[in-house]
Amino acid sequence: MKWFPSFGFQRRKRELQEEIDAHLQMAIADRVARGETAETARQEAAREFGNIPLVQDVTRDMWGQAWLEQLGRDVRYALRQLRKSPGFSITATAMLAVAICANSTVFSWIDGTMLRPIPGARDTGDLVSLQRGERNFSPTPPFSYLDYRDLREQNHTFAGILAYHHDWITLTGGAQPERAYISNVSANYFDVLGIKPVLGRFFLPEEESRPVPHVVLSYSLWKTRYAEDPAIVGKSIEIARHPVTVIGVAPEGVVGAMPGIREDLWVTLDPLGTDVWRMTHRSGGAVWLNVIGRLRPGVSRGQAAQDLDTVMHNIVAAFPDDHLGDNRITLDPMWRSPFGANGYMAATLPILLAFAAVVLLLTCANVATLTLVRFVSRRRELAIRQSLGANRIQLVRQMVLEGVVLSIVAGAVALVLTSWTSKTFAWFFPANSNPLILNGSMDHKVVIGIAVSSLLVGMLCGALPAWRSSHAPAVEVLKAESASISGGSRNRKLLSGLVVAQIALSLPLLLCSGLFLRTLRNLAGANPGFEQDHILTATVGLNIAGYSHNEEQVIRHKILDRVSALPGVKVASLTDWIPMTLSHKGEDAYPEGYVPHPHESLKVAHAEVSPRYFESLHIPILEGREFTPDDDEKAPRVLIVDQTAARRYWPGQDPLGKELRVWGRLFTVVGVVRNSTHTFVNESPEPMVYMSFFQAGYETMVQVETEGNPVDLAPAVQNAIHEIDTRLPVFDVRSMRESTQMASSFAVIQSTLAGMFALIGLVLAITGIYGVVAYRTQLRTHEIGIRMALGASRVDVLRLVLLQGFWLTGIGLALGLVFALGLTRIIVRLLYGIGANDPVTVVSVVMLLGAMSLLACYLPAHRAMRRNPVTAIREL
Amino acid sequence: MNERSQYKNRIELLQGTLDMLILQTLQWGPQHGYGIVQALRLRSGDLLQVETGSLYPALHRLERQSWVQSEWKQSESKQKARYYRITAKGKKQLASDLGRWERIVEAIGSVVYVKPEESES
Repeated sequence: MKWFPSFGFQRRKRELQEEIDAHLQMAIADRVARGETAETARQEAAREFGNIPLVQDVTRDMWGQAWLEQLGRDVRYALRQLRKSPGFSITATAMLAVAICANSTVFSWIDGTMLRPIPGARDTGDLVSLQRGERNFSPTPPFSYLDYRDLREQNHTFAGILAYHHDWITLTGGAQPERAYISNVSANYFDVLGIKPVLGRFFLPEEESRPVPHVVLSYSLWKTRYAEDPAIVGKSIEIARHPVTVIGVAPEGVVGAMPGIREDLWVTLDPLGTDVWRMTHRSGGAVWLNVIGRLRPGVSRGQAAQDLDTVMHNIVAAFPDDHLGDNRITLDPMWRSPFGANGYMAATLPILLAFAAVVLLLTCANVATLTLVRFVSRRRELAIRQSLGANRIQLVRQMVLEGVVLSIVAGAVALVLTSWTSKTFAWFFPANSNPLILNGSMDHKVVIGIAVSSLLVGMLCGALPAWRSSHAPAVEVLKAESASISGGSRNRKLLSGLVVAQIALSLPLLLCSGLFLRTLRNLAGANPGFEQDHILTATVGLNIAGYSHNEEQVIRHKILDRVSALPGVKVASLTDWIPMTLSHKGEDAYPEGYVPHPHESLKVAHAEVSPRYFESLHIPILEGREFTPDDDEKAPRVLIVDQTAARRYWPGQDPLGKELRVWGRLFTVVGVVRNSTHTFVNESPEPMVYMSFFQAGYETMVQVETEGNPVDLAPAVQNAIHEIDTRLPVFDVRSMRESTQMASSFAVIQSTLAGMFALIGLVLAITGIYGVVAYRTQLRTHEIGIRMALGASRVDVLRLVLLQGFWLTGIGLALGLVFALGLTRIIVRLLYGIGANDPVTVVSVVMLLGAMSLLACYLPAHRAMRRNPVTAIREL
Repeated sequence: MNERSQYKNRIELLQGTLDMLILQTLQWGPQHGYGIVQALRLRSGDLLQVETGSLYPALHRLERQSWVQSEWKQSESKQKARYYRITAKGKKQLASDLGRWERIVEAIGSVVYVKPEESES
């Protein structure tokens, strides 16, 4: 019964009817017994009883369910009203659906990335990401194992702290090696995340730093590569040609602790016992771990940071040589963790959500305009209902309900749309070497968000006009048919206000999208300082395929020789880093004789490059020399610095011959190259050092300058590498142009969405002002007819109509400009090559909006001008 | 609309008093709505005439407050009718209503029937 309250309601209604019937029957029976005739008895009893429906009505009020019945009636009435004007209903629903969809789409992206940083983990709100030193975009892993262990064991504010190192590797043992993403993790990794295995077990504390070749598989790897083998636990598989034993499988959906990045398998920190050095040192190459902590209940991030700072301070005091530079610890909640994708998301998506909210407001104003126009023309109906006994609350409720019905339908449409648009997020990211798993997610949070926003919208759209309309005194409206000639001054003011609001709201949208579009153009046109055309790069999975170091060096030389000899290849070189792909290699470097300021970061970006690297990228050598084939492991360590590094460490001096300590080793500067872009065109320059590939190279990437289209050469390059060893895995063969697109993908997202939102805003504002001016002109047809009959010229009429549009536009533009200039401040960090108040953009946007609005006013004005005054006067 | 609010006002005016009278009537045994009207008229010597528009809302409200319970029964004259019966909770309510009523009567009485000698002084 509870689920169908109306059934209970019907039953009780019937019972009340029977109760009253019984009352009457008994009254009649008594009267007949007293000697009255049946007919008079019935009449008298009925008279004595009173107004039966009214008694039923007031009795039903006592049930506390009356509102339900009334609601049903109101909804039916609202539906009938909306059906009567399909044009309005469809337009309003479509606009609301688009606006709600814009919001829910952006929100679903936020939900799928920032609000869901570690899928499968428990209470991610308690997790914080630890960073040591400078807080920047895509930092390198900040902790050594020993530092991490000290922090884990000596803190008082964390329930647990985990560490991991993300990398990639090849799964061998099959016909072709397969690339997989792997993490070296601390033994408590899954415990701290709160994840339980679906099969087998996870790591034991005693396995953490001991060489135990155990591996945990992700659910998807288990499913795709091992066909969900239920007996996989205990079996041996081959990773980089080493046998390891599967001990467990993670639950479905678990992809690891780095937001937005997929991991396929997990091993302990030193599973093969080959990394003892890395496990027992505190600086240089031993700084390799990302660290995430789970706060104890009731502990704030500030307290935890203070606690860790104290522990870190002691570590620094005990090992000062390993901790030069900045060692302060910062904690970030996972939604904006700098490691993984969320750092980028947090800079972009909330701003887009704010834009979408402006679109929603704008749409509300537009629908409210339409509703008001409609209600003004329905004033007679409302007045009649009012004089028949409806009170104002009932009228307002009725009208708000129409808005709510509209917005619920719009919400449903938006729900369907969003289930598709939420998945479009991944489209914005070009093919790249990162295992990105970014997608919108349509879960209950988004659905609730849609429902709530559509209800709010309904209220907003309905309530304002409803309240205004219900103020109209019934008698006045009924009496004076002609009262509608100018629509009443109150409604006119409200209508004007709504139009002004629409123009004022759409201007900032247009301005921001203009700025974003120009930013995108500037980014595309910017010179990154290196050649992007005619360059092909390919990654060879050498270090992950299980070769010995000597074998690797031989194979690298062979690759260089064979690829150089290919027809169509101008220059071939090796590198272990590709610029502008969001990948970043950083290291602490200590220049000899340089005294750092307190807390000065000594981080430099670095890349290991072979001879002719600078030649193929057209990066000029300003001083000294390029690397030569002689800069190999037997030769003294050398490096080449860029201008930023040279100026930072040796201002006013000749950097050649100076020495720099990296990884505890001294490198001599042999050359200076011109600055080039590392990650983003709009980055602030960071010192960069290049080392000789054959002295320090880690990963192997082939970089080829081609004569023609680089993509045409891809098969030949791949073949050349496979001729050396067919088992050599080759990945990510693509042109430099394609790779570097990654750097502008966020600018593309921003300008695409801002552009779409601005377009919606423009259309809404224009239709809004057109609708209002047209409506008002129509109401004044009679007046205009009289004016013309009295001698007003067509130009006078044109001016009369245009002038009101002109005022509205002017006020809207002025307000919008103030609003826009405030709003552009929040996007200033996302702009490149253009100021937030760029006068050209501001002026052109204002002109565009102004011209479009005046055009929208001109159409009704033109129509009014063309009217025949005689017919105009006759029309009311 | 006006008629409706008249009923409502009367309920409000008589609220408490009407509730008390109904509960008191039910003290003498379960009764249906018509029976309650008749009983009140008889006992008040035709002075109290309860409107149906006040009685039925009151009965349904009392039932919602669980001061009375109702069931469908045959009357002596074979008429099927809804009988209301006072509950334990209703009896408690009646006792407190009566107490309050007596205090009000007493208070009004002491105001209205002032002793002559006091009023002269």
